Amino acid sequence: MASLEALNEVFCDVFEDDDITITRDTVAADVPGWDSVMNVTLMLELEDAFAVQFNASEVSGLKDVGALLDLLARKAG
Amino acid sequence: MSGDDRRALFRRLKTLRAAGQTDAALAALQDALRRGALGPGGVDKAGRWLARALPEVHTGPLRVLLLGQLTTTWLVNALIAEGWSRGLALRVGDGDYDSVLQEAIALADREPVEVVVLLPWTQRLLGGAGGPGRSGAERVEDELAYWAQVWGQLARRSGLRVIQVGYDWVGPGPLGAGLSGREGPVRWIRALNQGLLDALPEGFAFLDLAQVAGEVGRSRFYAPRRYHWTRQPFSELGVVALARHLSAALQAALTGPAKVLVLDLDNTLWGGVVGEEGPLGVALGDSAEGEAYRAFQGFCKALSARGVLLAVSSKNNRADAEEPFRVNPDMVLSLDDFAAFEADWSPKAAAIERIAATLNLGLDSVVFFDDNPAEREQVRQALPMVQVVEVPGDPAEYVRALEAGLYFESVGVTEADRRRADQYRTEAKRRTLQSAATSLDDYYASLAMRGCVRPIDEGGLSRALQLIGKTNQFNLTTRRHPRERVVGLMADPAALALTCRVWDRFGDHGVVSVILGAPCPGEPAPTLRLDTWLMSCRVIARTVEHFVFEAVLREASRLGYQRLIGEYLPTQKNSQVADLYDRLGFEALDPGGPDGEGARRWVLRVDGAVAPPHFVSADDPQN
Repeated sequence: MASLEALNEVFCDVFEDDDITITRDTVAADVPGWDSVMNVTLMLELEDAFAVQFNASEVSGLKDVGALLDLLARKAG
Repeated sequence: MSGDDRRALFRRLKTLRAAGQTDAALAALQDALRRGALGPGGVDKAGRWLARALPEVHTGPLRVLLLGQLTTTWLVNALIAEGWSRGLALRVGDGDYDSVLQEAIALADREPVEVVVLLPWTQRLLGGAGGPGRSGAERVEDELAYWAQVWGQLARRSGLRVIQVGYDWVGPGPLGAGLSGREGPVRWIRALNQGLLDALPEGFAFLDLAQVAGEVGRSRFYAPRRYHWTRQPFSELGVVALARHLSAALQAALTGPAKVLVLDLDNTLWGGVVGEEGPLGVALGDSAEGEAYRAFQGFCKALSARGVLLAVSSKNNRADAEEPFRVNPDMVLSLDDFAAFEADWSPKAAAIERIAATLNLGLDSVVFFDDNPAEREQVRQALPMVQVVEVPGDPAEYVRALEAGLYFESVGVTEADRRRADQYRTEAKRRTLQSAATSLDDYYASLAMRGCVRPIDEGGLSRALQLIGKTNQFNLTTRRHPRERVVGLMADPAALALTCRVWDRFGDHGVVSVILGAPCPGEPAPTLRLDTWLMSCRVIARTVEHFVFEAVLREASRLGYQRLIGEYLPTQKNSQVADLYDRLGFEALDPGGPDGEGARRWVLRVDGAVAPPHFVSADDPQN
């Protein structure tokens, strides 16, 4: 199950910054380096970390970290 | 390597780098990459880390530019990582999606690069580009023409290396696996790859994507959702596999492939320990296990035949180590196959250094293959520039493990390759010149052509009219006679109305030539004017016209003619027969216009005239 803490760890790993602290309201603009290219990398890493698989429409519709958490919860459920 | 291990590795790299020990961090990452321990996500991350860390240590990284008909962004990091696992410090950039030609034209405005990698994709080939009426073959030509334009731009930049990647298919498409290779996309793509190879400018390298995909398996190499998502078709695994092959191609292009393979003996070239089993007791050829070792020896021997040097590094008494090569009849390799033979009890790293020194080769051109993980570890640590193969436990997998490392890849762009190609070309040219005359004759003779010239009859009339109506190239006068005119000549005993049918060992070509000759009443000597002479293009340049002419001479003589008049009426398409009558020994009557334009006429005395040699034997299938 994807907790905010577990998600935070993946973010730190992907963006190589241990000081990142995400909340449900965090959006791409809040995280340095979170552009469209890194977004793909992030999604692939999340799939790996939480053993889920997204389809393209699910990934493109996300507006913030909260939506991402909900998506992961739905996938895991 | 688990996610936690990976995180621990990157944390260690970060600490080392922060402490100013970037060299140590780079070595640690290279080691992890060589072991293949990171997984696709880890390779991407390693590439990102290397993109920052490498420039701190390597002042002159090799600059590579990826230009693709697909998105190349996700190849950049993987290529940096796979390059580093081979000791290449790369700086990799990429162009916009599907703008290869524009990018190639604008190359001068960019930061200079040493290597350009061209990656095609199939969206136009398979997407019905050029309209629905455009056939597969035509679209193959379109793609080839496109790359020729790109190559033209790149070839102008001296010193630039170019690696052209081939085309591939994700699946067979609607025709299915059976038909697609015969008349569908798979066939076009194969034709395209062959076309690229055939037209590739000298010095450019080719990477066969279909080979790479086949090695991984297309169902794992491609991920359809990635294509819809990011306009590049490769799975994460596929990206890494392609990057691995690209880095091997880069290395081959820059420094050449590895040059020496250092092999252990016990449990590497044969099963068991020779010091215990004896030279005849080792497993070799007499069991499934023994067959696997023999197959591995055969592979090594074939590598040696290709120019890879073989060497032995074995912890053994020298006499024991050499004995099996002398006495065991199942041995594939012989002592002569080894350029160096180190058998003693010193550490293997020392033996490898001696081998490299003996052969006057750098340690980075050494590949080390040993079944013993402890020996591999010792060599890795002592000589990080040596490429150490991860040897699997089962000897049946040895060949594949060695192949998978891509150590001996050659892409045909090194100076040595170029020189060799030059030698081949010179040699080939010499041979061609030497044998041109006879080889063409040999070819004609090999066709075993037979022919039959007969008067046009009712049954042959429609085919004769068809040829008269449509033949353009080998057609002296291109007169499109109506049926009545031909029937009139057929009925005139003084006229000539002949067809020629030809067949050869490949089959029957049917009626391929028509000759119409009409008498010229006003002439002092009996004269036949060759009103029409045409031949189907399927038998052009096979001496058939000489065979036909021989029959014309015979018929003209039989009808009592003393002279033949030949005519040529130039059209857009028939220039290939403009000098036919000259070649047949006719004399020019009027030379035509100033530039050889306009109608021309020739004359020939029938008596004593001989047709040039031909390779058609007269036959009549109706007899």
